[in-house]
Amino acid sequence: MKHVSLKETKNLKDQTRIDFKMVTFTLAGKDYGIDIMKVKEISKASKFTFVPNAAPFVKGVYNLRGDIISVIDMRIFFNLEAEEAEGNTENMIILRLDSHVLSVIVDSIDKVIGISSETIQPPHPLFGDINIKYISGVVENEGRLYVILDVERILGDEEQVDGRTVESRSASSISSAAPLSVQESTVSTTGNAVKEDVDIGFIEETLITFLSFYSSPVNQEWIRSRFSAWKKQKGEDVQLANVQDAEAYLSPFASPFSGSYWNSDFAEKAASFLPADHTGNFYIWNPGCESGYESYSVACLVKNRLPDVHLRIIAHDNDLIRISTAPGLVVNQASLGSLYDNFLTEGSRGKQFKKEIKDAILFEYHDITHDNTLPKLDMVVMRDTVSYIVPDRQQHIFNTLEEVMKPGGLLILGTHEQPINPGAWEKVENSGVVAYKKK
Amino acid sequence: MRVEYINPFVEAAYNIMTEVLQADVERKDLYLKKTTQPVMGVAALVGLAGDVEGRVLIDMSQDTAIKIASTMNGEKLTGLDELAKASITELANMITAQAVTKLFDLGFKFDLTPPSIITGENMSVSNANVEALIVPLEMPQGLVEINVAIRERA
Repeated sequence: MKHVSLKETKNLKDQTRIDFKMVTFTLAGKDYGIDIMKVKEISKASKFTFVPNAAPFVKGVYNLRGDIISVIDMRIFFNLEAEEAEGNTENMIILRLDSHVLSVIVDSIDKVIGISSETIQPPHPLFGDINIKYISGVVENEGRLYVILDVERILGDEEQVDGRTVESRSASSISSAAPLSVQESTVSTTGNAVKEDVDIGFIEETLITFLSFYSSPVNQEWIRSRFSAWKKQKGEDVQLANVQDAEAYLSPFASPFSGSYWNSDFAEKAASFLPADHTGNFYIWNPGCESGYESYSVACLVKNRLPDVHLRIIAHDNDLIRISTAPGLVVNQASLGSLYDNFLTEGSRGKQFKKEIKDAILFEYHDITHDNTLPKLDMVVMRDTVSYIVPDRQQHIFNTLEEVMKPGGLLILGTHEQPINPGAWEKVENSGVVAYKKK
Repeated sequence: MRVEYINPFVEAAYNIMTEVLQADVERKDLYLKKTTQPVMGVAALVGLAGDVEGRVLIDMSQDTAIKIASTMNGEKLTGLDELAKASITELANMITAQAVTKLFDLGFKFDLTPPSIITGENMSVSNANVEALIVPLEMPQGLVEINVAIRERA
């Protein structure tokens, strides 16, 4: 039930050539990148231990879990304006260079971007703020230009850095070297927890790049528990290098009976949440219906339990190819189980659903990240769908649901998903199958 | 937009364009657009009613419109005059009518309004709460977008 459009599928193919990843950040409002292989981790810290008589761009030293590393302020180093960080907590990128480990302070850390190294263009000699010899290239990604810094060249050779200090910084270093206060460095986050957060953060970014899967409160719990299992399986090398890795990571995420008819057992458990008596209209929304297996399954289970209702299922998907086949879906299996027997009829091309089931479902080519015009809903089946759309639209969809669902309305999410605002829903469970009732 | 409606519009637009212009028409990927979309310069509008409510917009740049009208009339038109406008209006009528005929064969009943033509710079069109299906067609005369926004009658 991936909500991936045709266009995105195409992008996905292009992205299989990703062979260069960089951590992106901003300095004085401009975007920069550093090769991820040079980045050890990302951290926030304040109150560095001041080192007397050091160059002004050396903020001091910092105790990284027992290792003392120097902290360089990139903004001062490149003669850019240094913003005062909020609460004095600075964003640090800790770099592992050939010779040593050190840390640089930047304005804000953005995200990890995977690109194809072929798209990196050589720097133009007219580049302003940062001297050209420190730039390994420029790359465009999603409408933004990133300057890729050659950190090895900038910070790798200590002697060169020192030389630079003497030449160009001597005047200012005197004034700022004056205060001789020595402070214990305090770290806002420590130990392995930091490393794990960073690893999970990278994995989350990679899942967006490869499979447009967005981590959010809907699925975060699962991502974290999956990470422990993944780590056990993979050891230290936890990062996702390509689409296959990303697919392997996500493979346990899929809910049962994705892309097939629900079996009678699963359907009956889901049906047990339905009200025992209901007459009149019964409206169901099924976004991300793909080829329609889920919509037909839901139609049959509701009709079976509530034969007298006037059933209407609004099934949406933005994959035109898949949803185009949905209205005329044929049943190839010999038997789908007792639940379906009453609703099937022998057609010219094989078994098909009866007219009463077909007429109940309205398949629409629609992008649910746009506006959704829906009637008052009795039930929503939205499995493994919201996880594939951007988080602020996820929020929007849950807001819509809280608005249009009738009190007591039933929401079925993916097995590993949960509603964003748990306060608005009552969790119900029947031997492993979970649903949410609107309060 | 209901899945069954898509093909009739795509086929009708493709057939009519190929037939009228006697040229290679290339069908590009369909996509959905949010409620407000820019209009290229010349838009022929046909309203739909019946089982659904909505409209079809045949959208192209002024330059493309003049070229298409020239081809349809077998003479070189220099500006977007009455004849050119009438030709584009007729084109919209033919496309929508063929689509509606195909839809009727599938069991959906649609009524049409007479087409009207709107021209100007920097225009945009918006339909509250309906997203539009865009069928882009590329031909030697330029790009023509068939913009269909319809929804089921509540």
